[in-house]
Amino acid sequence: MIFMDFFMCCTVSEIHRFRSHVVWVAAAKSVAPCKNGRMLKMRKSYGLWILVWMAVSLLGCVWVTQNEIEQQRNAFETDARIVHRLLSQRAVQHDAIMSTLALLQSSVDASRPEQRLSSVYPQILAVRRRDAGQQWEESQFARAAEQSRAVKRPVLADADFTNGRYWMVFSAAASYAMQIDMRGLAQWSEWPMQPESSPVRVTLESAGQRFVLQPGKGDAHGWRFDFSKHLAAESQPFDVVAVRHVGWAQLPWGWMLAWVGLVSLLLAGLLAAQRQRAARRRAEELLRLGQVARLNTLGELAAGMAHEVNQPLAAILANTQAAGRLLAEKPPDIETAREAMKHAVQQAQRAAEVVGRLRRSVELPDRAAQLQPVDLRAAVNNALYLLEPQLRQLGVTPELAEAASPIVHADPVAVEQIIHNLLMNAMQALERVPPGDRKLILALSAADGLGVFSVRDSGPGIAADVLPRIFEPFFTTREGGLGLGLSLCETLATRMNGTLTAANHAAGGAEFVLRLPMTGQA
Amino acid sequence: MNTPLTSLSPLIHLIDDDEAVRNALSLLISTVGLRVQTWAEPQTFMAAFDRDSIGAIVLDVRMPGVSGLTVLQQLVEQGVDQPVIMLTGHGTVDMCRRAFKAGAAEFLEKPVNDDALIEALQNAVRQHVRTRERHQVNHQARERYAQLSEREREVLGLIISGLTNKEIGRALALSPRTVETHRANLFAKLGAESLAELIRRYATLVDAAEG
Repeated sequence: MIFMDFFMCCTVSEIHRFRSHVVWVAAAKSVAPCKNGRMLKMRKSYGLWILVWMAVSLLGCVWVTQNEIEQQRNAFETDARIVHRLLSQRAVQHDAIMSTLALLQSSVDASRPEQRLSSVYPQILAVRRRDAGQQWEESQFARAAEQSRAVKRPVLADADFTNGRYWMVFSAAASYAMQIDMRGLAQWSEWPMQPESSPVRVTLESAGQRFVLQPGKGDAHGWRFDFSKHLAAESQPFDVVAVRHVGWAQLPWGWMLAWVGLVSLLLAGLLAAQRQRAARRRAEELLRLGQVARLNTLGELAAGMAHEVNQPLAAILANTQAAGRLLAEKPPDIETAREAMKHAVQQAQRAAEVVGRLRRSVELPDRAAQLQPVDLRAAVNNALYLLEPQLRQLGVTPELAEAASPIVHADPVAVEQIIHNLLMNAMQALERVPPGDRKLILALSAADGLGVFSVRDSGPGIAADVLPRIFEPFFTTREGGLGLGLSLCETLATRMNGTLTAANHAAGGAEFVLRLPMTGQA
Repeated sequence: MNTPLTSLSPLIHLIDDDEAVRNALSLLISTVGLRVQTWAEPQTFMAAFDRDSIGAIVLDVRMPGVSGLTVLQQLVEQGVDQPVIMLTGHGTVDMCRRAFKAGAAEFLEKPVNDDALIEALQNAVRQHVRTRERHQVNHQARERYAQLSEREREVLGLIISGLTNKEIGRALALSPRTVETHRANLFAKLGAESLAELIRRYATLVDAAEG
């Protein structure tokens, strides 16, 4: 009897678990001891995420910056080369003008046409002339004239960068001097930059003197680009110098911000997906644990029941067989045989009592008071979600035809239990047909105040001799099956004032239909 | 219920915690003329049962406090030679294997059919009787062997080795006549009718004594 009490307890708690998902809570508790460890791991993995975020953001920013600097440098060099070309063109032009003047020297023209040059070339401020035999008063000019005769080309006579002008002298027979305005050297119409606002500083430099053509701007921090090249005219030995500073403020902060934002978004998305996957895995694990726990408890229950019923059965069998033997004796020992039969009767009563006690304690509590509105579609979706891994393994995509979305008056846990069992049942039927022929058709509808949920599979269907017994407890066609699943479903449905029916569909396969009263109809 | 039918009738020890089962089985067993002694607890049985009795032990596997398998192991360890028949409500293959490995003579499922139980019991009793007889013979042989003198044991050893009287005399420096006397004496003391019987009964004993 010690066993009896133990197994009665077991029975009651098992049934409660079965019905109220206590199993889930129990399973969750068993996970609890490793919670600290998991937290630690989480913190660690967050650290890794932050590290990755920082590294990727930084790399992106560096790349964007380098790219930008490189682009700026290329633009700067192109501009500087254009500036150098433009200035050189002008300088070479001056050489040409002076050579032409020298040619004019033979025909002495009183009208002095060279004086009209300024109107054609605005950068030429003045032209002076000394005929052959005449000397320049200014010593620089005289020296330059001599030099010019020696090298047979114009030479620089006097450079005044402070005021932005210089003199060139060319001597052949006669000697000419020409004053150039340095500002006029630049052809502003073709200038590649905005002279007022451009960040590039352009200067002409020679022997320590400097003339600013374009002031440029920008602080001295950050990156600095340099360009320096002689003018392509030997007569005017100036350096074209261009400088540009790119400061921190000019970095492409907008792009960097956008990149960091993008990386953050991507990583956050990944993290969320990973967490969701982990949560899903945990839920599956819990479900599996719950199933195992349920099976173990059922196994214990069956073992306990077997023992409790076996004892009286063993006594009954021994007593009746002993009585048979006693009556077969010559002469028969009727008195002892009668005694044995009396014992057998007592033991039969004992067995009946065991079964009765078992049933009373397993008896479902009255759940009518706990009936509440249940969204059938939500319950179906929930069950499908839980079974998704198994469905995927089977290669089955359930088709859900939804004619209505009934709200039924029922016990939510019981409804989910029924749907879950019906789906499991259908999946077991589908295992017996080739993967290509596996179809699972679910339908939700409403008729006559009843919410209707049907499960149809493309399995082998229900054999004719099985169909009438399909909801009988302990009736099973499955090897190792307990034969309790469908029987439980039917009991639960009936208790909620509903029905569960089974039939073979005209198109093949089995169809189970669950009908439950809708809210307001019960 | 435990009244002996005859003093020579084998005694079955039945151990089960359930009184109804105990009574019913003991009634059934007694219908074939076997005496039954019932025990509710393995501990009392272990402490008090008659180890010299001829018979068998029927043991329920599932009992509160101590498992039938453990009791079986203890019986074997203590050298109890009565065959043990195990009874169980739901026997698994694993439990069955363990029971046989531990030395069970038979493994029956409850509820047990009368024929199966009675046949198993009769087999067990027959087996036990044979075991005891063999022990008896060995015991007698040892007692008789102990009565031999030193010289007679030497002569016996050589006889069993297949030597003739002359050869024995030479080996032990005795006259063939003396050897002949020893030979006659030891045949009488050991109660052997022929050389073949002598060898069959005592060869192992002599080997053990010499070894």
